[in-house]
Amino acid sequence: MISQILVNGVLVSLTYIIMALGFTLIFGIMRIVNFAHGEFYMFGAFALMILFDQVGLPFFAAVLISGVLTAALGMLCERLLFRRLVGEELPGMITALALSIILQSVALLMFGPADQSVARPYVGTWPIFGAVVPWDRTVVAIGAVLILTAFYLFMKFSRLGLAMRAVALDPEVSGLMGVEPGLIYSTAFGLASLLAGLAGALMAPVYTVGPAMGALPMLKAFVVVILGGLGSIPGAVLGGVILGLTDSVLATMLDSTVASIASFVVVLGVIVARPTGLLGRSI
Amino acid sequence: MPRYIWWLVGAALIVAPLLSGNRYFLYIATMVTILIPMALSINLTLRLGQLSLAQPAFMGIGAYTSALLVMNLGVPSGFAILAGGLLATLAAVVVGPIFLRVKGVYFVLLTYSFAQIVNLNFQYWTTPFGGNNGLFGIPPISYPGGDLISKNTFYFLLGLILTAISLYIMRRFEKSDSGMICDALNEDEMLCLALGSNALSWRIAAFACSALMAGISGGVYAFFIGFISPDSFGFQLSVDLIVMNVVGGVSSTFGPVLGSVIIVPLLELLRDARQYQLLVYGLCLLFFMLFCRKGLVSLVWRGLRRNSFGNA
Repeated sequence: MISQILVNGVLVSLTYIIMALGFTLIFGIMRIVNFAHGEFYMFGAFALMILFDQVGLPFFAAVLISGVLTAALGMLCERLLFRRLVGEELPGMITALALSIILQSVALLMFGPADQSVARPYVGTWPIFGAVVPWDRTVVAIGAVLILTAFYLFMKFSRLGLAMRAVALDPEVSGLMGVEPGLIYSTAFGLASLLAGLAGALMAPVYTVGPAMGALPMLKAFVVVILGGLGSIPGAVLGGVILGLTDSVLATMLDSTVASIASFVVVLGVIVARPTGLLGRSI
Repeated sequence: MPRYIWWLVGAALIVAPLLSGNRYFLYIATMVTILIPMALSINLTLRLGQLSLAQPAFMGIGAYTSALLVMNLGVPSGFAILAGGLLATLAAVVVGPIFLRVKGVYFVLLTYSFAQIVNLNFQYWTTPFGGNNGLFGIPPISYPGGDLISKNTFYFLLGLILTAISLYIMRRFEKSDSGMICDALNEDEMLCLALGSNALSWRIAAFACSALMAGISGGVYAFFIGFISPDSFGFQLSVDLIVMNVVGGVSSTFGPVLGSVIIVPLLELLRDARQYQLLVYGLCLLFFMLFCRKGLVSLVWRGLRRNSFGNA
C-alpha cells in the first residue's frame, strides 16, 4: 500500500516537474505568467494523436516531432505576442489568457468537444516492492527523466543556458555583458513549450486527449511553482516532488476535492508567509 | 457626437427591453444589469492596481447565503440579499488585510487560490450547498403589485437599481478622498506613506466595497435564475469580467458598463456555440490588449472631445 502510494507519487511528480519547469522558466526570464502553458501541453498531445495514431510514425519519433512542433508554436507566439510585453506583468498575463482561450477554441473547432483516446503503445504492468507499475506510466517516467537530465545539462553547461540563468538573475547586467535579450526570450519560450509539448505527447496515451485537457496540468504546474518559488528551477523540482507525493497520499486516503482544497490552502499559506516560495530569491 | 446623444442611447437601452415585451430580450437585459456591478467590482480592484480573481467567490458567497437564508430559515428575500452582501463584505474584510499586502502577480494567484477554495467548498459540502448539483428551486422574490408588473420586469428594475447603486458607489469612490488616495498610492506609494496616509486601510475599504457589490449582485442573481451551482462562480466568470473590463476600458467607470452591455448579449447569443464564443473572446482580448489598451471607452471619449473642440 505504502510503496504503491510512493510509486504513484513519483510517477505523477515527474510530469508535474516538466510542466512546472517551463512555466517557471518563462516567468523567471520574461516576468510573464503564461496561462497558456496548459494549452501547449494539449497541442503536444493532439500532435501525437495525429502523428502516432493517424500517420503511424513510431511512438518515440512521434513524441519528439510533437515536442518540436509545440516549441515552434511557442516561439511564434513569443515573437508575435509576448516580446512586446516583457516585464509588463498584468498585460502579459491577460494576453496569455487570451492565447489560452484561442488555442482551446481552435482545438474545439478542429476536434470537437469529446475526449479521444490514443492507442497505447505499451500495455501490461510490472511489480516493484509489492507495488504495481503500468508499463505506459513507466515509459512516461523514463522519458521524463531523460528530458529532465537533458534540460539540466543544457541549463548548466551550454552558453545559452548560462545566458538564460544570467538574464533571470539580472536582465540589465547581463544585457551589459552582451547577452542579446531577443534570442534569450525566444529560446526560453521555445524550451518551455518544448517541455510542455513533450509532456503532453508522452501523457496522451495514458489519459484521453481533448481541448480542455491542459487545465489540470496547468493548475498543478502553478501550485508546484508557487510552492518552489516563481522563477526558481530547483524550486520547481522540489515543489513537483512535494505536490506529487502529497497528491498521491491525499487522493488515496481522502477525496480528490479535499486534496485540491488542501493544495490551494498550502498555496495561499506559502504566498502569504513566504511569497518567494521554498527556494525562490527575494523579489 | 454631442454628449446628449449618449444619454439618449443609454435611456433607449433601458426603456427598450421594458417596452419590447420580449421575454428573452428582457432576460438578457437583466443579466446585463446583474453583471455590470460584477464588472465594476473587478474594476474597483483594478483601480487599486491589483487584479482580483476573488470576485466570483464573493458573488458566490452572496448567492449561496441569500438562497440558503430564504430556503432554510424563511428570511424575507430583501433581508437575505443584504445579508449575503454583508457576509461577502465580511469575508473581504477578514482576508483583505492578509491579501492586500501582496502585490502584482502574487496577488492575482492569491485571489485565484482563494476563489478556488471557496468554489471547491461549494462543491464538496452537499449539505447545505448541494454539491456539484447546486441549489434548486430558490423561491422568487415576492413583491407588491404582482399583477401590474411581470416577474421579468421586476427583476430588470431590481437589476437597474443595483446597477445605479454600484455606479453611485464607484462615482463616490472616484471623487472621494479614498479614490484620490488610491490613485496617489498607485502613482507613488512611498510619497503617500510619507505624507501619512494609511495605505492598507484604504485598500481594504475599497476591497470591501468591491465584495459588497459582488455579494449583492450574487443574491439578486440567485433569485432571478432560481438555481445556483458552483459552476456559475468559477474561473470562467473571472475571465468574462476581465473581458468586459478590457473591451470597455479599465480607466473609467463607464468602461466596464459599456463592456458588459456589449459582452453579455454576445455571450448569451453564442451560448450554444461554445467554440465560437471562446474564439470571439480570445480575439477580442488579444486585440484590445495589443492595439487598444484603453478600451472602447477611449474611442468614445475621443469622439466627444473632438466635438467639443469643434473640429469633428
